[in-house]
Amino acid sequence: MTLDIKNVSKKYNKNKYGLKDFSIHIEKGILGLLGPNGAGKSTLLKMIATVNKPTNGVICLNKNNIVSDPNYMRKQLGFLPQDFGVYPNLNAYEFLEYMAAMKGVGGDNLKPRITQLLEGLNLIDSAKKPIGSYSGGMKQRVGIAQVLLNNPKIVIFDEPTVGLDPQERVRFRNLISDLANDCIVILSSHIVSDIDTIADKVAIMKNGELLSHGNQEDIIQNVTDKIFETTIAKEDLTTFKTEQTVVSTSRKNNQLVVRYIANFPVANAIKKEANLEDAYLYLTR
Amino acid sequence: MKSFLTIIKFDYLQRTRSYAFLITLCASLAIAYTFVPEPNANYSTIRISDYVGFYNSAWFGYVTAIMTSVFLSLIGFYLVNSSIKTDVHTKVGEVVAATQVSNFKYLFSKVLSNFLVLLTIVGMVFLMSIVLFLLYNEGFPLQSLQFIKPYILITLPGLFVVSVLAVVFEVFFGKYSVVQNVGFFFVFMFLIASSAKTENEFAVDLFGSKIVLHHLEKTVGAITNTNETTFTNIGFVLGNFNKTNKFEFNGIDFPTSFIISRLLWVALSIGLLFMVSFVFHRFNIKERVSVKKVRNINTQANNIQDISLASLPKTQINYSISSLLQTEFLLLFRKGKKWLWFVSIAGVILLAVLPIQTAHQLVLPILWFLQVSRLSNLTTKEVSNNVHYFAFTSYKPISRLFVSQVFAGVTLMLILALPLIIRLTVLANFTAAISVLLGGLFIVMLAVTFGIITKGKKLFEVLFFMITYANCNLITFTDYFGAFKHKPYYVTQLFILIIVLGSVSFLKRKHELNR
Repeated sequence: MTLDIKNVSKKYNKNKYGLKDFSIHIEKGILGLLGPNGAGKSTLLKMIATVNKPTNGVICLNKNNIVSDPNYMRKQLGFLPQDFGVYPNLNAYEFLEYMAAMKGVGGDNLKPRITQLLEGLNLIDSAKKPIGSYSGGMKQRVGIAQVLLNNPKIVIFDEPTVGLDPQERVRFRNLISDLANDCIVILSSHIVSDIDTIADKVAIMKNGELLSHGNQEDIIQNVTDKIFETTIAKEDLTTFKTEQTVVSTSRKNNQLVVRYIANFPVANAIKKEANLEDAYLYLTR
Repeated sequence: MKSFLTIIKFDYLQRTRSYAFLITLCASLAIAYTFVPEPNANYSTIRISDYVGFYNSAWFGYVTAIMTSVFLSLIGFYLVNSSIKTDVHTKVGEVVAATQVSNFKYLFSKVLSNFLVLLTIVGMVFLMSIVLFLLYNEGFPLQSLQFIKPYILITLPGLFVVSVLAVVFEVFFGKYSVVQNVGFFFVFMFLIASSAKTENEFAVDLFGSKIVLHHLEKTVGAITNTNETTFTNIGFVLGNFNKTNKFEFNGIDFPTSFIISRLLWVALSIGLLFMVSFVFHRFNIKERVSVKKVRNINTQANNIQDISLASLPKTQINYSISSLLQTEFLLLFRKGKKWLWFVSIAGVILLAVLPIQTAHQLVLPILWFLQVSRLSNLTTKEVSNNVHYFAFTSYKPISRLFVSQVFAGVTLMLILALPLIIRLTVLANFTAAISVLLGGLFIVMLAVTFGIITKGKKLFEVLFFMITYANCNLITFTDYFGAFKHKPYYVTQLFILIIVLGSVSFLKRKHELNR
């Protein structure tokens, strides 16, 4: 199972690109996609999901060009968009049956599978109620259920943890890990902690371009020996920010402990172990 | 005051900077082009017996002002009756609710924004009338006052009231678009049907057309030296092959009472809005589902359990469209309120028991029009419900999903028309029976095509409304279900039209998916 994105561009107008000459090779496992707003993550995911077509380039799933044959992708796709809706007058059962029909999934086992998914997603008690009455988190779980209706070979989650509470996030990550044993999972998020705990590989994007792609260790390598921590007075923070790339700040004894990225530390700074968030901020600054 | 004007300005810009508005504007211009028939046209709009006016400034000004007043009041309501709904949908309403803007101020800003939208269309029609005057000029001078006066006194007050009514209907029936659509239809029919003969009665004519028509009838009566009531046509009457005589019309000196009545209409409508502002929900609205149902749902029942993917029952590939069809029916069935089904069932019974001509000519178009929000939703619901990411990435979305949507819509229309189809078949009137079948298919394809092209419901709803209005007035040109005698190639024409609509919708959706 391989997904090859070769020289893909999405051009909106003469000067505006959503994605620019983007290439990446993806194999079985979890790919975490990180990038600030407007980086082109959703544009890329929509093109992989065959919602949008690239202006240039090809996207091949197992060497089949899905730009010209989108149904090849659609047969084996599970897609959870960032912002999706539901038909409010249908209940969860009916909506999932409809989704299954759209995906071309059926058979005697469909209803038991839906029931099991609804049980697993803790929606079984409200499964016969109109989805219009569900909370945001419940709708998000219906969205997750529809991803698992078929046995997807490629799964795309665009900001999937929105609306889920911390406990649910942990269980959702377990579910993704389970899924990734058998297929390609592409997970996009703003939250680095959602990615760093489960992603086999990470891709960092900015302004429609790929900044870095590889194992987490390879990406963290970019900031090894560049992460420091120091304590400063609160009123010095603004000046400090103009001179250094600040990763985070925390209060301690009426002062500020600042974690920052620099080639050379300021006086009294302590060197810290770098993590994915540091690398992400370093690459996208 | 400045903030109030700013609200109106941006609301207006938001509404006019859309593809749908552009289409509406173009459609309005196309319709306005027909308001004053070109000299050799075989139809008339305003005709008193066999008389029409010389094509001078007054005739152009008054005729286009009246036609605009009547037709834009009719379709204008449907163009502007979703301004509050948009704020609900975009959640802007909740932001507005948290500001200091009073209910009346907010509603009044919506009225003015509605009015500005309609005014834009009126402005274009007004310019079109001057262009037409110059095109069809019969040697009369351009008198700007003869154009401006009727628009100000006839057209604008009526449209202002319609702008208010659109907001009032939204406040009371915001969740029920069917009630709004059908309710206004009956209000309009009532207003247009009331006849006015005296000066006092002219004051209650919202559209302001009766006083002009009365004056025209009197002028023609004086020419023909008859006291009998002259026969006046207003609207699009086709096939006027009789030669028309011409008379000179130089406008009207409107009596003061009429001018005051126009101002009173505006004042009363503002008063109505003020009263309605006390019961405005201010976006504190419940979900469409009943409270009882919501209460039963434990929204705190969270936590994804550990799902073992390996233990999930294995599904099979099934590309048949029966499940899609089943859900499309379900969505059609659940769209709208239950009472609408009772009214529809009553309509079906009437199709079975009323004289066949009445059933065919009047009951069928109204019964089908009652399904307007179901039909307009057929191919727009994916986008309006934000389900398009799923729908457009489904397996073969055109040959499976699109086909099932069309099939569900057509089946609904034919089930409703079934008693009539059976009666026509029993009477061996096969042409009429086939025409009803094709009519159902035609109106569904029209809904589908307009929905896909405009990415919205509005244009189809307005068009369907106009067609139904024409059907109720027994205008044969708009008969798409074979209720009148037609030329032998009528069925073929209808069939070709369906093929064209089907092709356009298919190609456009394919284009959308490819993009």
